[in-house]
Amino acid sequence: MWIEALAQRSPWRTVCPFAKAGFALTAGGLAFAGTAPLRVLSVAGVLSLLSVWGAGTPWRAYGRVAAPGLAFLLLSSLTLLVSVQTDAMGALHLIWLPEGGLRLAELGARALAALAALLFLVLSTPLPDLLGMLRRLRVPASLLDLMVLCYRMLFVFAAAWRAVRTAQQARLGGVSLRARWRGLQLITASLAVQVWLRAQALERAAAMRLGEGRLRFLLPVYPTARRDRLLAFAASLALVVMIGWGA
Amino acid sequence: MLAFESVHFRYGDQTAGLADCSLHFEAGSRNALLGANGSGKTTLLLHAAGLLRPEAGRLMLDGVPLDYSRAGLHALRRRVGLVFQNPDNQLFGATIAEDVSFGPLNLGLDAPTVEARVHAALAVVGLSALAGAPVNQLSFGQKKRVCIAGVLAMQPDLLLLDEPMAGLDPAMQAEMQALLERLSAAGVSIVLATHDIDFAYAWADALHVLAAGRCIASFPASALPAHTARLQAAGQPLPGVLRLETALSARGIAVPPLRSLDALITHLSPSSGPSNRATGDGRPQENP
Repeated sequence: MWIEALAQRSPWRTVCPFAKAGFALTAGGLAFAGTAPLRVLSVAGVLSLLSVWGAGTPWRAYGRVAAPGLAFLLLSSLTLLVSVQTDAMGALHLIWLPEGGLRLAELGARALAALAALLFLVLSTPLPDLLGMLRRLRVPASLLDLMVLCYRMLFVFAAAWRAVRTAQQARLGGVSLRARWRGLQLITASLAVQVWLRAQALERAAAMRLGEGRLRFLLPVYPTARRDRLLAFAASLALVVMIGWGA
Repeated sequence: MLAFESVHFRYGDQTAGLADCSLHFEAGSRNALLGANGSGKTTLLLHAAGLLRPEAGRLMLDGVPLDYSRAGLHALRRRVGLVFQNPDNQLFGATIAEDVSFGPLNLGLDAPTVEARVHAALAVVGLSALAGAPVNQLSFGQKKRVCIAGVLAMQPDLLLLDEPMAGLDPAMQAEMQALLERLSAAGVSIVLATHDIDFAYAWADALHVLAAGRCIASFPASALPAHTARLQAAGQPLPGVLRLETALSARGIAVPPLRSLDALITHLSPSSGPSNRATGDGRPQENP
């Protein structure tokens, strides 16, 4: 929800999602094809700078959004430096793998660039726009319906969760670990019932608007789509030249 | 336009819904359903929308019994729109424009027509500037207006609203009332369930009082002073303006029958002229 809020505030929100996705895909492709870690890292750097300066994501917010991914990358990359082996007695030993350093640099750089490409797209494009793009790409309707409902209900249930949690805390629900654990159980039970009731209510609401099959919506229109695509193409080309692939 | 004839309905857990309920809504009229919680207001609206089917009795639309086949319900819902009490139970779309387009697209309209209807419906509810905004960022009142726009875009003849004023602050209530005025002026028949007797008295053409699933009284709003006993029997308070008029009359201050406190205050204010501030014996008042 935090990423979504940042994307909604992005000045690049109105840019055609196809243009942004095309650029992110090109950058991701460059990172994937690249073998020199420094060059790949420079792709990640360009994408991060664009996310901050272009898409208007504050540095601190960018760091917070990237932190979980970076932590995961760090943890998984470090495992490339060690190996677990058993000796003749069957005891486990951690073996240092010096040759794993190069592999770590390659994979780490690629993963960082891929993360930066993904963040560039989602921090400048709210999910409704991404869903519109996926509709135009003819992604299966049932999958999109599921995504739309999940997106809507995420906010509804988050609000319900906060309301119940506040009500519990107002009655000393968080006074001890035991009370918090019990509160969590009660919230879960309460939300389970709400999910069922909401499903019924939404079905009725859909029926009232003659919706008995797939969810159909008007696709968003981007007046500057042509210009955006041309700019994205030019930027992608510039990125390829800048990184000096094939040089 | 739509009539209930001795409609009876019980929910699956045997809770009473409607009991021998008979009433009708005139085309182009403004109707308010009054009654305590559990009196059957929402159940009545769900029946009017074809979402519930009577166990006994029947509903007539323009003199023809409702057809509960799939095609019949489609035909009904092309003409009757229902706005639910909780907007989060009604909104599907990720953005406002998306959600409003849902109904018109299901009507089988082409994209330009749907777009035109979406723009028109959003203009009516005053949300044109927010067309691309995500639904989750809206206030409760704005969500309610999106719900109404979503139904209006289907251009129904009859609009049903379940507690449209519930959860709205006074400013939003005023906006909602202005919106209802605009819809009514456009010829849409409106039926709404409400607990706000002051609003119902000021706004509606006809009042329908429900108690324990029965429609115990249906009368023109202007005739409410003659039905106070039935209103009180249903646990409803009298409108503030009516109580004030009674109190003024008891003090010998005659006022014409007005249906809102605002109208009465305007009538009694010094700027409204001495002729409007006459006592029972016709004497002007210094400080009404």
